[in-house]
Amino acid sequence: MYTLDIHKAKRKKILKTILVYLILSVFAVVVDNVYALFGHGVRSASMSLMFLYLLLGGALGYFLLWLIAPGVYLNKWYRLGYNLYNSGIATLTVGGFYKGILDIAGTESDYTQMFSILGWGMTAAGFVVLIVSVMNCYSKPEQQRGKTI
Amino acid sequence: MTLIFIKNASDFHAAIIFRIYHVNMKTKKTNYCHLYWEAEGLSCAEEMDIHRGVFRMKIKQFFSKPYRWGVLFGGVLAIFFTYALLDTFVIPKALVSAEQSRDNQTATSDPAYGQSEAGQTNSGISQPSDDSVAEPSDQNTESAQSEQAEAVITDTSYSDENISITIETVREYDTTFYVADIEVSDASYLKTAFAQNTYGRNIKETTTDMAAENNAIFAINGDYYGFRDKGYVLRNGVLYRDVSNNAEALMIDSEGNFSIVQEGEISAQSLLDSGAMQILSFGPVLMENGEVMVTADSEVSQSMRSNPRTAIGQISERHYMIIVSDGRTSESAGLSLLELAEQFEKRGCSTAYNLDGGGSSVMYFNGNVINNPSNGRGNREREVSDIVYFGYS
Repeated sequence: MYTLDIHKAKRKKILKTILVYLILSVFAVVVDNVYALFGHGVRSASMSLMFLYLLLGGALGYFLLWLIAPGVYLNKWYRLGYNLYNSGIATLTVGGFYKGILDIAGTESDYTQMFSILGWGMTAAGFVVLIVSVMNCYSKPEQQRGKTI
Repeated sequence: MTLIFIKNASDFHAAIIFRIYHVNMKTKKTNYCHLYWEAEGLSCAEEMDIHRGVFRMKIKQFFSKPYRWGVLFGGVLAIFFTYALLDTFVIPKALVSAEQSRDNQTATSDPAYGQSEAGQTNSGISQPSDDSVAEPSDQNTESAQSEQAEAVITDTSYSDENISITIETVREYDTTFYVADIEVSDASYLKTAFAQNTYGRNIKETTTDMAAENNAIFAINGDYYGFRDKGYVLRNGVLYRDVSNNAEALMIDSEGNFSIVQEGEISAQSLLDSGAMQILSFGPVLMENGEVMVTADSEVSQSMRSNPRTAIGQISERHYMIIVSDGRTSESAGLSLLELAEQFEKRGCSTAYNLDGGGSSVMYFNGNVINNPSNGRGNREREVSDIVYFGYS
């Protein structure tokens, strides 16, 4: 009974992750609009669209993961994939914000490429590890359901 | 109440590592630690294996805790982001002083030092490689500069026998802008200067300070080359940067004539060798061969339609027109590029080129700022990389 309680609490973690990503998406939109106010209405596509990384890559991605394999968190590879994927999304979002600042100011920098390479690299690596976790999950029905060890 | 159970996590030779789970039934949080039991009589290599194994497990355990990786990576990302911003906008990177580059020019043109093959110097700064390149009327310049004639100066005009400047304030398009009509007897009175007399990134000064340091009679902000890593930079006959921005640049030759060049199609070194004295890389081109080159939709990068602007044009030989507009305020909306181009067209310019605008736009005349700069942090001047000015020194 206790074990089931623990896993019920853990299952909510994925939903909590989705909720955090949704909040961060709204925050990204707010940041873009506030920045535009101080930038004389000048906008940058990179900054305006940075919320998509969080919304599509983050919230939607984890929602799909939750639908496909709710017990994926039980897999030993999940934590690694989770960390890599989240770090990649964070890097891409911050990179979008940085590029937006540069676009609005009218300059450019090699750092934008570094953000992109690092961000996409970590996201891709995290995605692969999460896929491995899901596949492992399907080979273990109890992990697929996420209800017992 | 705490429930404890033991699970064999892994073993290394004669050592065994136990993973002990703690389950807090109040918070429903699980935690675990490792117990390490080592048998006696292990070899050194075996002990090392064990220690490496324990270290790997400790690292794995560290990052398996929620938020630890997030906090660590978030910190690193924040530091990197801050550094990238500082490096882009704040940290000055002086590459060479303008004075040093002029000394190099003197040295390379002095037979005693020998002329380098392509005009290239050790500092990476280039001078014209062709001896036949016309110098800007040296004798006229020297005589004119040595005896600066007495000038007649008012709040809006300056006149001596070499330089004539008239500034007109115009109100159109719900915008106040300032039109300077300038005639000089010699092209050498049209000059440029760097902030702190130094070429580099994030080396900045206000237009007023640069103008005062160079004894300028009249000055405007330049192309803010130090804000970008690309775009030709050729100033007062010295080439500082030969990296194309794939944009159209304004070239001013030794006779003071303006022409538009496409960066990338011809190198800055070739332009220098063909007699260019200045290259300004910003844009877009407002007028070329007497025709307006922008449309109502033209804009600099992501900017809004109306802005403070700075632009320079040529009417005829050694006869120039400079327009600086106020903008982004309730009193003055700012000009679009088309409106700006139409003003040059109306005044008979054949070539006109847009320079850095927005908060950078400043018109300086005889010790005073003529326009109302708006840099987003109150009405004070923004520091920029360079100026274009008229003067004797």
